[in-house]
This record gives sequence, structure tokens and C-alpha cells, in this order.
Amino acid sequence: MSDTIKRKKIGDGVFFSAITDPKFKSNRISVNLLLPLEEAAAANRAIVPFILRLRNRDCPDFTRLNEKLCDLYGALVDGDVRKYGAYQIINLSVQSLDDRYSIDGAPLVQECADLACKMLFDPYLEGGLFSEADVRLERQNLIDTIESEFNDKREYAVNKCVSLMFGDSPLAVKKYGARERAEQITAQSATDAYRDLLRRAAVEILFIGCGDPSAAETVFSKRFSDLVRAPIAYDPSLPVSRAQQVQSVREDMDITQGKLVMGFRTGQTTSPDEVNAMKMMVALYGGTPFSRLFKNVREKLSLCYYCTSRYDKASGMVMVDSGVETGNEQKAEEEILRQLELVRQGEFDEEEISSTILTITNALKSTVDTLNGLENWYLTQILSGCDESPLENVEKVSRVTKQQIQAAAAQVTLDTVFFLGAKKEGESR
Amino acid sequence: MKQEIRSQSMQESYWKVDHPSGLTLLLYPMEGFSSAYAMMTTDYGSVDMSFRTDPLADFTRIPAGTAHFLEHKMFENEDGDAFAKYAATGASANAFTSFDKTSYLFGCADHFEESLRILLEFVTTPYFTPETVAKEQGIIGQEIKMYDDNPDWRVLFNLLKAMYVHHPIAIDIAGTVESIADITADRLYETYRTFYNLHNMVLAVAGSFSPEAVIRIADEVLRPAPTLKIEREFSEEPETVAQKRIEQKFPVAAPMFGLGLKVRPADPKTNETNSILNEIVNEVLAGDASPLYRRLYDAGLINSTFDSETDCGKDFAALIFSGESKDPDRAAQEILQEIDRLRKEGIDPAAFERCKKSVYGRYIRMLNRPDSIANAMTGAHFSGLDIYDLLEIAGSATLEQAQCRLMEDYRTEYAALSVISPQD
Repeated sequence: MSDTIKRKKIGDGVFFSAITDPKFKSNRISVNLLLPLEEAAAANRAIVPFILRLRNRDCPDFTRLNEKLCDLYGALVDGDVRKYGAYQIINLSVQSLDDRYSIDGAPLVQECADLACKMLFDPYLEGGLFSEADVRLERQNLIDTIESEFNDKREYAVNKCVSLMFGDSPLAVKKYGARERAEQITAQSATDAYRDLLRRAAVEILFIGCGDPSAAETVFSKRFSDLVRAPIAYDPSLPVSRAQQVQSVREDMDITQGKLVMGFRTGQTTSPDEVNAMKMMVALYGGTPFSRLFKNVREKLSLCYYCTSRYDKASGMVMVDSGVETGNEQKAEEEILRQLELVRQGEFDEEEISSTILTITNALKSTVDTLNGLENWYLTQILSGCDESPLENVEKVSRVTKQQIQAAAAQVTLDTVFFLGAKKEGESR
Repeated sequence: MKQEIRSQSMQESYWKVDHPSGLTLLLYPMEGFSSAYAMMTTDYGSVDMSFRTDPLADFTRIPAGTAHFLEHKMFENEDGDAFAKYAATGASANAFTSFDKTSYLFGCADHFEESLRILLEFVTTPYFTPETVAKEQGIIGQEIKMYDDNPDWRVLFNLLKAMYVHHPIAIDIAGTVESIADITADRLYETYRTFYNLHNMVLAVAGSFSPEAVIRIADEVLRPAPTLKIEREFSEEPETVAQKRIEQKFPVAAPMFGLGLKVRPADPKTNETNSILNEIVNEVLAGDASPLYRRLYDAGLINSTFDSETDCGKDFAALIFSGESKDPDRAAQEILQEIDRLRKEGIDPAAFERCKKSVYGRYIRMLNRPDSIANAMTGAHFSGLDIYDLLEIAGSATLEQAQCRLMEDYRTEYAALSVISPQD
């Protein structure tokens, strides 16, 4: 069972973790570079993985590189950006089949480790800088990505609520940065951001799959040992306050269905027990198809198609998001708050608790069956300063009591209500 | 009857069982896995709008969106809804309706047998009343509106509307608020009795479970279904598209496009085989390593959202290229010109070999996950194939086969373009 992780330090601020299980047919190497989110720097860092993905010193042609990936049985190479609390994570990954499935006997694991390393350490440079052409292209792509948030109205409404909630704190900075900043990216600024990442980022490399992780470990250890680094001290704790007063914001757009998003603060959840209780509370409240929100806001009152709650422990936020008919938002908001109040007062039974535990248990035990599930679980463990396996977490979640769930609900305070409404007939399309 | 389906190259196998009830069971136990995924599917989707079981009777025509409506309503039984029952096992359950299938599924790590029993029981127990139908019209109305606001969905359905003159693939899977208003409890029962006959269904299970337990529970829950032959009616669809270009203004940041090529449909097996071969052709034509991709990317005409797919189902087949573009018309024109060039000059053998490996790798990766295995077994089954046939088709594809598909399926005169453009 891939239930355990072997994590070791392989350089200054650099850690290598291996999670292996023979049941898989693929291997995945994921390189994560962490720095605190900063409004001014976010876009410059965000462009880096996309430029590194295009080509490298040994393969200075994008098309040749992609041909090589085809030859490696469609190996997947990706660059992307993630966000964890107040940190920005620059991610590079390579995934390929295991050596066993290579018809022509190519050593796929070794090749992919080398490729991941070259992407990170040997970028294609012209005069010491990223190529102007690459920067121009990826700058536009980054701007498109930032703007495309607007296309998905649900995502747009959720992000808007987060921005309103966190104002000018780092938690409000978007993972790809702001459009205005992205427009100012130059070859110099992007290359500086890349060098800064190599020098200062906290680095977490994960190897997940059925193969032997030692080739990847060796090559990354060697390359990092050649660098002079001054890594940041990563600190996942963050000051989370309670909401003082509720801010309500409404925006109208030419859409057919309204989107209601409610952002709550959880206050301090310092102990793992509190985090587990919050996780349970949020699932019981609106995280499952038999939760309070689903049963009442959707099924009983038919107010919406979706109404769910989620908990982000990294930012200490609980969010409820729902698609409702414009005109019904007040009714939906009242019902959403009423259900939370009922949870606070303990108006739920043992069956709801045991069903919620079963659902969480099921999800946790299933995470070990996919490479992505394992990567997300263990990266989050590392970033939150824990080293629990999914099974160990099952143990703890099943011990959460009714009182703890009520206490978690009592800790939650409403901060922001954002409603994206449909324009009235006549003003719309 | 129990039959073992084996792959020499993968050193794996699974079971195909013809259950006495009429249901086909596809059982793929996976060593070392902690979870299991089960999916019960009927060979019935949104395009099946006209059918009969008696060759002498008239065809029955049902409102657009009935299959999807039925999917929602199946979760409700006289003794409560299925989600509430799954709550007692912890399984994560869902259902979906596509153009030609409706599937009910769950994933779980514990209590597999209880969950399977719930699945088999609720899918074989219809319960519709005028009141519950009326309530569902409200919920689905909201779901339809949610999709109306989704530009990815709009670009696709506008494209299908432009491509197809008569075929019901051009109608939204959920129907419209107007069409679902015509759905009644009686209509649902009639449709249910036809398409949810166990001879028309398959249960696929993959992951950590015991095949004997699945057979035992099927024995206990399922009653033998009468044999029936379903005849579906589709209007004659011309090769030409309904319109060459369709555009909708939408609150989006950047324009989006979908370019579709109408492919002459064949029987399900040929459709599926050609579709895999066309994945290879698409890779040669527009994959990350193709000259076309490079040209479009460098010119800023596409970005990482660019994608190509091969779609096929009952009585239709299509090739679709889609993504964001600052100039959708130019992107589409470049793709069509490249198709014409490739047809004239032929496929480069080295590019073919490379792209074949890449597509073959994709099919092997599919065998990594219980959910993708269950999905693929189901799809292959309804096409008259098994899951290893898919690997085999990709792995043994020849340049001649690819060349033949290129000439027969990539016909630029049967293309349509759908554009979503930002509002002024």
C-alpha cells in the first residue's frame, strides 16, 4: 500500500519525498517551488513555469521537445501555478509510463527525471535572459489565463468573494497575479524571478508511482548541491481573525442564473483536532449530497441546482457557493444561515454524523489509488506541517464528537456575501 | 456464462458474465487497490428520441431531455432517495447522461457490497408521480440555466447545431425548459420500461472487490427481464452541414472557437475503431509536436486551451478542434488548410510512428485507475469490443490505416465553425 511517504532533505531548503506502490503503471515527478505571495512579484513568478515548459538548453526547439515526449509514449510535461494559503507554488511535473511498458526498452523513469531536471536548471537563454519571443508569447498566454477567470461565472464569483474578503492581505493575491502586473513582464523581470525562485524558494520534490525514485533523487541532489541558496523559512501558520461585520456586494451581468457566494472566517484553528472538527462540520453542513444545504436549499426548497460548502484550512476560510435564480438570493441566503445556526445548536442527529464520517473515510481511503490523489494529499500534509497518512487521518476524523462539530460551527463567522445577478429583461441579450 | 478476457501484453485480465437476468457484468479486479468503482449503464442517451419495440407499431417520440430527466428521477424511490441510502455506506455516488448512454455510478473504499445492492435496487425500481416530476422540472430548469451561462458548453452545442441538420445530437442533453415541461410520469414509465430493460444494460466494476460477491448480489436483486429488440429512428442526415458559421456574443474575456468536421457514421464497432485511428491522425495534424500547432502557437492564434477530439456515437461521428483564440476565423482557416495540405502530401511516416506511441501510451495510462477502466469497459462493450481491443487498435495501427482515415474523414467541405465572442 502506498500509505507511507519517505521524505528527506537533499539540499539547503530542498526536500525529496517518495511515495511508491507497484500497483501503478506510471510515475510522476512533481517539483514545487514555494515563495510567499506578493502582489508585485506574483505575475513574474507565474510566467516562469510556462517559459521553462517551452524548451531548454539541450532541446532549444519546442517542437523537437514535444516530439521527444511523444516518443516517450506520450509523457506529460506540465508547468503550472498553485496557491496554498499565503504562498505561491510554482510547479513543474513530468509523468510517464513505467519502464515495463516501453516496447523499445527506453528507460522512461531515468529520461523523465533528466527532463524534469533540465527544465528546472537548464533553461533556454539568450544573452543570459529568457528569449524575448518566449516571454512575449507566454506573457500574452498568462494575460489570457488571468482574464479567462471571467468566462466561468461560478469561478469568477468565488474569486471575487475571496478578493473582497481578504482585501490587501497576501491571501487575496491571485495565483497568476494581476493583469496590470502581467502586462509589464519583460525578459529581464521574468529571468530575475526565475533566479530568485532557484535561490530563495522552499523546494518540495515528490516522486509518486511504481518505479525506483533513486534516479530522480540523485540527479536533483547533485544539481541543487551546485547552487548557492538562501531559502526562506516556510511558515504555514497565519493570523486568522473573526469577521467584524458583514459586507455585502452585488454585481449584475448578462447571465441567466445568479451566483451567490458567502465567505466565512473560521478564527484560529490551531490544533489538528480543531481542523478535523471543522472538516467534519463543513461536510455535514454542505459537503455531501445528504448534507443540510443539499437537502434543504436544493431538494426541499428547490432554490438552486448546486449549493455546497468547502473549507480551506490554509486560509482559514469556509465558503458556501450556490447557483440561484435572481430574485431568490435573499431566500437562499437566509436558509443557508439558518442551517448553519441549526448545526451550531446541535440540531442534527447521530446518523448525520456517522454518514459524514463514512463519506470522508471513503474519500480518504480512495486518495491512495491515484497518482494525483497521493500528490495532493502529501503535498498538503507537508505544507501544513503534518505527516499523516490518509488512513491515520481516517482514525482521527472518526473520533470527532457532536460537541466538537457544534464548537466548530460556533467559531465560523460570516464575513462577505457576494451576489452575481442576472440583468433584468430588456437590458440583457 | 463467464468468460475471461485476457491481455498477453499487459498480463492482466477481467471477466465478462452474461447474467441470467439479461444484464452483462464486466468485472475487473485490481490487485493492490483500496477502492472500487461500479457503473451501471443503459444504452440510452439524449439522442434516442424516437423508438419502438414492436416492429408493427408506430415509433414513440419523446421530448428532448427525457433521458436526463429520467436519470434525475431514478434517484427517488418510494422509500426515500438513493443518496440518503448511500449516506449509510459512505460511497460517493453520481450519475450522468451523454448523447447515447446514461450511467449510474459509485466509488467506495468500504462497504462495497451494500453500495452495489443500493445501485442495483434503485436503478431497477422506477418511481414517478406527477408531484415529483413537477418538482424536478424546477431543479433541472436551474441546471439548464447553469449550462446556458457556460461558454465551453455553448460553443460546443452551437457547433453541433451548425453541423447537424436533423440529428438530435444538436439538442442540449438536458433539453430546454419548454421541452421538459412536456414530460409526464407516464411517459417516464414507458421510456424506462423500454431502455432500462436489463438486456440493454451493463454493469462495469473495477478496483478492489470480489467478482463472486457481485454475481451473488446480482442473483439476489435482479429479476430476469423479458428479451426485447429496440428499434431507434433517426432522420436521414445529409453529409453537408446546416450552416458554415455560427456566432454568439457572450460575457467572456477572449473569443473561443469550435471547429467541427462531420464524419460519415458507420456501425458502432467501426465508429470506435476509426475514432482511435483518428486520435492518431489528430495528433499528427494538430498535436503539440505538429508544425500546425507550432505555427498557431507562435502566432498567438491558440493557447494551452487548444484541444482536438474525436467523437462518435449512435449514428454520428465528428472531429472537433477547439480553444480560445484572438482570431477564431484565422485559426480555423489555418487548420483547414493544413488538413488539405496533409491530404495532398500524405502523412510523414516518422510523425505517424511517434504519434501512435503517444496515443498508445494514453490508452495504457487509462488502465491506472478503476474509474477510467470501468468507463472504458462500458464504452468498448457497447461498441462490440473489449478494453484490450482499444489498446490493440492503437498499438497495431498502420500508416495505411491512418492515411485512409485522413482521406475519408477529414473533408474540409463538411466543416462548421462556432465562435463565442466577447460582448462590446
